[in-house]
Amino acid sequence: MLENIAIIREVHEHLPTTEAQEQAIEQLKKLELEDIGLHRLNQCNSFDIFCVSLIRALMTKEMNVIIVSPFHIIDNLRDIETISTTIKKLEIKKDILILDTLSNETHYKGFSCNIVK
Amino acid sequence: MVLRFIEAIGDKTINTLSSFYEAIKFTSICLIHMVQPKSYNPAMRMVLTKQIYFTTVQIIPLFVTMAILFGSVIIGVVISLATQYSLQDEIGSIITNFVIDEFSPFFTALLISLRSGTAVNTEIAVMNVNKELNTLREYKIDLIDYLFLPRIISGMISVVSLSILFAVIMLSSGYVFTLFYMNMDFHTYKYIIINAIEFKDLVILLLKSMAFGFVTMLIPIYSGLKTTNAYTAIPISVLNGMVKLFIALFFIEVLSLLLQSL
Repeated sequence: MLENIAIIREVHEHLPTTEAQEQAIEQLKKLELEDIGLHRLNQCNSFDIFCVSLIRALMTKEMNVIIVSPFHIIDNLRDIETISTTIKKLEIKKDILILDTLSNETHYKGFSCNIVK
Repeated sequence: MVLRFIEAIGDKTINTLSSFYEAIKFTSICLIHMVQPKSYNPAMRMVLTKQIYFTTVQIIPLFVTMAILFGSVIIGVVISLATQYSLQDEIGSIITNFVIDEFSPFFTALLISLRSGTAVNTEIAVMNVNKELNTLREYKIDLIDYLFLPRIISGMISVVSLSILFAVIMLSSGYVFTLFYMNMDFHTYKYIIINAIEFKDLVILLLKSMAFGFVTMLIPIYSGLKTTNAYTAIPISVLNGMVKLFIALFFIEVLSLLLQSL
C-alpha cells in the first residue's frame, strides 16, 4: 500500500523513495492505518483500500478530488459520517466532491455540506 | 468465391502488417525511453532493483543446478565427439565457440523466458484486465517508464550476467571431461581455453545476451498489453506471447549464426 501512495510523488516530483514513503506513512498515521503500509491488496478491507486511494489522490497536484459512489466502494458503509471523519482527519486542503445516485440520498441526511441535486 | 479468397488474403496481410508495425513502434518507443535520463525516476529505480532481484538473484540456485546438470552433459558430449573424430587439437576453439558464442546465451534465454517471461506476461495481462493500467494512466504515470522499462532492463542484465555464469560453469565442467577423456591437466586446459577465447567471442556473448534479454521481456509485455478485457483471455495471451517469444529467440540465434558466417 505504501508504494501505491508513494509512487505519485516519486514520479511527478522525483521525490526519493524513502521520503515519499515517509509522507505516505504520515498520512496513514493520521487515520491510524500505518499497519497496512506493508500489506498487499488482498490483505486489506474495502475501507483500507478506499483510504489508500484517497491519500493517493491527495498526493497529486490536482485541486479537486472526486469520490464516486462511496457506498459501492466501501462494504457495509451505513452513513457518510465515516467518510467525513476520514476527510477531516486527513486535514485536506482540496475540494472534495462526492458523486452519488439519488437512491443513496438517505445516507446523506444531516450531512453538513452542500448537497446539489 | 475467388473474390472472397482474395479479400481474405488481403485482410490477413493488412492485419499482419499492421500488428507488425505496432510491435515495431512499441519496440522503438521502449528503446527511446531507455536512453532518456528522465525515464529513470525514483519509482522506476525502485522497481528496477526489485526486478533485478526477482529475475537475476532469486534464480541463481536453480540456475546453477541446471547449468551443472545440462552444461556438464552437453560439454561432455561435445568433448567425446571431438575425441572420437580426432579433433583434440581444435578442442579449445570448439569449446569456446560452442559454450560462449552459442549455448550459454541461448540456454539462459530459454530458462529466463520460461521463468520470468511467463510471469511478466501474466502480470501485465492481469493488470490490464483489472484496469490497473488505466489507473496508472489516469494518474499520468508513464507505463513504459514505471512498468515496462524496469522489466526490460532487468531481463537484459539477467540474461547477460547469467550467460556469463553459465559459460563459466560449462567451462569448468569441460575441464572434468577433458581430464577423463584426454588426461589433460588443469594448467594445459586453462592455457588452451584462454588462447582460444577471442575478443569477438566476448562481444558476441554480450550482444546476443542483450538481444535475448530484450525480447525475453519485451514480447511478454507486449502480449500482456494486447489482452482483451476478460480473465479467460489471460492464458491465451500467455500462450501467444510464449510462442512469439520462442520464435524470436530462434530468429536471433539464426541471425547471429548468419552474421558470424559472413
